[in-house]
Amino acid sequence: MSATSEPSAPREVRLKDLKVGEGPIEFVARVVTCERREVTRKSDGGRRPLLSGLLSDGTATVRFTWWDPPREGIERGTVLRAVGPEVGEYRGRTEVTFNWKSRVGPASEAELPRINPSDLPAKQIRDLRAPDEGFRVVVRVVRVSERSVAVGEERRVVYEGILSDRSGSISFSAWSDFRLRPGDALEIVGAYLRTFRGATQVVLDERAAVRRIDEADLPRPEEILGAPPRSMARVEEDPAGASVSVEGRVVGLLPPSGLVYRCPQCRRSVQGGICRLHGTVTGEADLRARIVLDDGTGAVTINAGREDTERLWGVTLETCRARLREQPDPTLLEGELLESLLGRRLRVRGSSSKDDFGVTITPDSIEPAEIDLESTAEELSNRLGGTH
Amino acid sequence: MPRREPAWRVTAWELEAAVEEERGSGDRAASYLISPFGGRLNRVLLAGTLSPAEPVGRDESQPFWRARLVDPTGTVVVTAGSFQPRAMAQLRAGTEARPALVVGKVHLYRGRDGVAYVSVRAEALRAVAEAEERSALAESVGQSLDRLDLLARMQPNPGVEPDTYRSEGIPLLWLTAARESLRRFPEADRAPFRASLAAAVQRIAGQTGVVVPPPSVPSVTIHRTPPAAAKTPPTAAERAEESLVLAVLDQVAEASLDGYADRRELLARVGSQGLTGPRAEAVLARLEDEEEVEEPIVGKLRLRTDPARET
Repeated sequence: MSATSEPSAPREVRLKDLKVGEGPIEFVARVVTCERREVTRKSDGGRRPLLSGLLSDGTATVRFTWWDPPREGIERGTVLRAVGPEVGEYRGRTEVTFNWKSRVGPASEAELPRINPSDLPAKQIRDLRAPDEGFRVVVRVVRVSERSVAVGEERRVVYEGILSDRSGSISFSAWSDFRLRPGDALEIVGAYLRTFRGATQVVLDERAAVRRIDEADLPRPEEILGAPPRSMARVEEDPAGASVSVEGRVVGLLPPSGLVYRCPQCRRSVQGGICRLHGTVTGEADLRARIVLDDGTGAVTINAGREDTERLWGVTLETCRARLREQPDPTLLEGELLESLLGRRLRVRGSSSKDDFGVTITPDSIEPAEIDLESTAEELSNRLGGTH
Repeated sequence: MPRREPAWRVTAWELEAAVEEERGSGDRAASYLISPFGGRLNRVLLAGTLSPAEPVGRDESQPFWRARLVDPTGTVVVTAGSFQPRAMAQLRAGTEARPALVVGKVHLYRGRDGVAYVSVRAEALRAVAEAEERSALAESVGQSLDRLDLLARMQPNPGVEPDTYRSEGIPLLWLTAARESLRRFPEADRAPFRASLAAAVQRIAGQTGVVVPPPSVPSVTIHRTPPAAAKTPPTAAERAEESLVLAVLDQVAEASLDGYADRRELLARVGSQGLTGPRAEAVLARLEDEEEVEEPIVGKLRLRTDPARET
């Protein structure tokens, strides 16, 4: 492959600036995901190897297809310099193809473009969509807590919490310690987004840059955590949020509710003694309630865990197990649980996620929400009298 | 993916008046009853006093129970059958009138002479303390007033962009309902309904006690002038479809224990003979309009045996 056949020297670009049909270009980017396949040629049945996946340089992520890639040495995290790739478009998204005309090989971390924050577009939380990157946000830390998780063999600390601006709130997980405290006002660049159970999350890793800033027009943490409930119609329309508050009545329970059995390793619910991940296990008894909460304008599912379920129901897991020994029919327990919850007015605050079945809230708090009958009657009476 | 239908907070008065049906088309499509007061109802939540239930129908393998729910604005029939075993057990449990909340799906049955009966097929219900019943009633009155306000704003200005209302937090579902309500009840007088809510407010304030259902009054009926029937004589094809439905209905009723033809079974049978879905429903509706067939129990059909008609 000779570079002399190129009509002009390739121009180095960022991934966000890729355009179809421009002159020769080159870029440096990191492999985010990759998968090796083989494609069978129709003409002679010959097999041709292919590597495809996603590339990112911090400004954008694009799909790549690499014909006849090197046998090894290219994996997740590898930094590549690509000279003369073909730039195409599929379903409105830019993608690149490396073929015999392209020169592609490993490059060093230092060659990755340095990103100047002011070059990146400022975004509002409401407009963040996975897999966006290459944006800048100005946000407040509403809440943060640390958790230790197992990543492969090693244990790592991950910092999780909520970020917010005037447009909304979003949950985040940080894989480096940025010493975040609730109330901090931050400018963040180099973050990326992922979707987890229908909710978008901000991920901060070692590539992200976090800078503390002076007060900007950002809500205080207590404004977010103490926000009044929104109508369910609103919650159903809005994108999922990290701090959502709703008020409504229990109109039903979804299965599985009541006594359930969980895998001792991953806490997934066990069906017929089998965990989807760990095979045959001895399930551990647990209580849960999948509550359908409805305010007349819409409905959401509240996934209440053991503690909330016991408190709302007034029956403990131990009592349930004892009862089950006397009357071995778990559906009786579910019926009783529904009986105790149906029609109760609750205020729930938590993080929401969306899927085909609607909005689900993982609650941080569930509290009874009583109506003051006297003042409500007076208010309604005034409204009725108003037009008489 | 259809979204779960919210439980509209309504009073008995609004339900009684929700006699316009919007049939969904396609697989598992929801049907709605349109009320003159801004409701497009599928699932509802009602609060009131529930009377003891009575069994309906003679088929012991398919028990079906009926009770009346009375609130300060009116009465609604609440039913539950073997497809709602928990609701049915709850419905049967009470031996005397008690305050209760009911969540269920609305059902319209139009009898002879255009009399429309709205009932609620309970999905879940629970006897509650009076304070809880009043609290749920307060929600119904509050949301009824919200919907009336919306109608009052939309009626003179039908051209206003939906976004204007939505930016105020008015649910899209309510806008759709209000439009439909105005379209189907252009002449509706909403003042009596509004006045009925005053009685509910007194109950919320605790000024009136539990409403006790009057004894042995049949389910509340709405008299509705039958639509002026377009008198185009049926075509031969339509006649053939009608006789197919009547013949199958006869067979199904004959084979059943209680002498009624199950609506679903009937539709399945005629479906297997090529008369399917909405067309079969239409034929059945026509037969009901022509008083050939009646549905004295929800979901149970029989031929009208009017001696005057027998020739």
